[in-house]
Amino acid sequence: MKLRGRLLYPAIGCVLMLGGWEVIGRAGLLGRTFPSLTEVLRVYADGPRAALLVRSSTATLGSAATGYAVGLCLGAAVALLAHLVPLLRGGLDRLAVLVNALPVIALGPVLIITAGRESTPAALAAVPVFFLLYTSTGVGLRGASRRLELVLTTLGAGRWQRLTKLEAIAAVPSVLSGMKIAASSAMIGAIVGEWFGAPSGLGVVVLNSMQNFQIPLLWATVIVIAAMTLSGYGLLTLIEQAVRRRIGECDG
Amino acid sequence: MASLALRGVTRSFLRRTRAGRRESFDALGPLDVQIGDGEFVALIGASGCGKSTVLRLLAGLDEPTRGQVQINGLPPHELQAQHSLGIAFQEHALLPWRTVESNLRLPFEIAGLAAPEERIGELVTLAGLEGFEHARPAELSGGMRQRVAIARALALQPKLLLLDEPFGALDAVTRRRMNFELERIWLESRPTTLMVTHSVEEAVLLADRVLVLTERPGRVRMDTAVPFARPRPGALMRTAEFHRLADELTAQLEPA
Repeated sequence: MKLRGRLLYPAIGCVLMLGGWEVIGRAGLLGRTFPSLTEVLRVYADGPRAALLVRSSTATLGSAATGYAVGLCLGAAVALLAHLVPLLRGGLDRLAVLVNALPVIALGPVLIITAGRESTPAALAAVPVFFLLYTSTGVGLRGASRRLELVLTTLGAGRWQRLTKLEAIAAVPSVLSGMKIAASSAMIGAIVGEWFGAPSGLGVVVLNSMQNFQIPLLWATVIVIAAMTLSGYGLLTLIEQAVRRRIGECDG
Repeated sequence: MASLALRGVTRSFLRRTRAGRRESFDALGPLDVQIGDGEFVALIGASGCGKSTVLRLLAGLDEPTRGQVQINGLPPHELQAQHSLGIAFQEHALLPWRTVESNLRLPFEIAGLAAPEERIGELVTLAGLEGFEHARPAELSGGMRQRVAIARALALQPKLLLLDEPFGALDAVTRRRMNFELERIWLESRPTTLMVTHSVEEAVLLADRVLVLTERPGRVRMDTAVPFARPRPGALMRTAEFHRLADELTAQLEPA
């Protein structure tokens, strides 16, 4: 029964959806821009187009990963600074909100001019990651149990010890939640960044195949993007769950 | 060990009036209390009388508005810095990601001392948790967790032990058993102790002296010695003397 709920029903759902896709595509029910599933899958078997997708995926993944790493380090570091120097917190909070409020579409051209075409995807990936990590790290650090803070203070712990023995560890689950959500944001940022004229990347392929009416390639690229985003999210979800179990929230 | 003194201590807080102005009100004091070396003092009083504020003042977690708090002639934050204070709260005061052993090691780590294995073993035994050294707090019962918290408070042989409703979150049966456990643990080293509690019986059973605080602002209404010899047997709670003292204290808790 359990197995049926967890495997069988989702499998039936997938088969129905993919089968429906194939039928609709073959019959042309939604017009020429909706290809059949087999037509899309054929792209992956086609040497030159498959090679293009691999090349582009590598470029996009590289930009997203770079932006992710930069945004993560900056976001966490600035959150730590705001936590340790309460005087700065108000200002840094407002700065982070401002950064988040800037529309990516408006930021793109500015980055093209300042950071250059090659770096814009990574830069646009870093922006939302920074905001998400700034917020989640700050919430995590401030979320340490008040009572445990009092115990540590009474035992004579200084600021640094309270941070390393309590707050930083208590913050880990929240930081991981932020990292999980940020993974998708980094992919979106990188792809949008590529639209502004990057030399290569999945965003470039999406744009070109759309403009040249290469419909199966467009769909195949979108599927690759979705798969990459979902794998990143899934991987981080697994890590987050493992760490949450290890750290054992609340009770204690 | 330590003797401690509160001299003319008051603590005021700000509150907002209906008109939106801030005004100061006294939550505590003036309070004059002396506690001798190795004495176990229980502090009781109605909710909001400032019992926990007294404890926080002694722990160096709060400063008096007026007056002086001294432990062995030093202000509490000095004892904090010397790692000479032990504290246990009602619940949820263990690091949930650490095992029993590792939680007991925390005071040593904070003091920058190596935690001798045998001392950790002693503390595990003291808490009666042999076999649970590697368990996490979430795997322990409420009573076991509190024993770990108290053993941790005693780890560095503190000069002053502060207990804030240490068994307040436990059921009545466990609480009773823990009271006897605490006396056993306490008798091993007899540190100067201040325990805040709601329970008159707990206070009479454990303390050498019971202080009753008035309602806000908290002042000492009654200061009574508890004459029973230690270790105190369970049968003590069925004696007339015990009940007389408990009744007398309970009467003092009623609003004047």
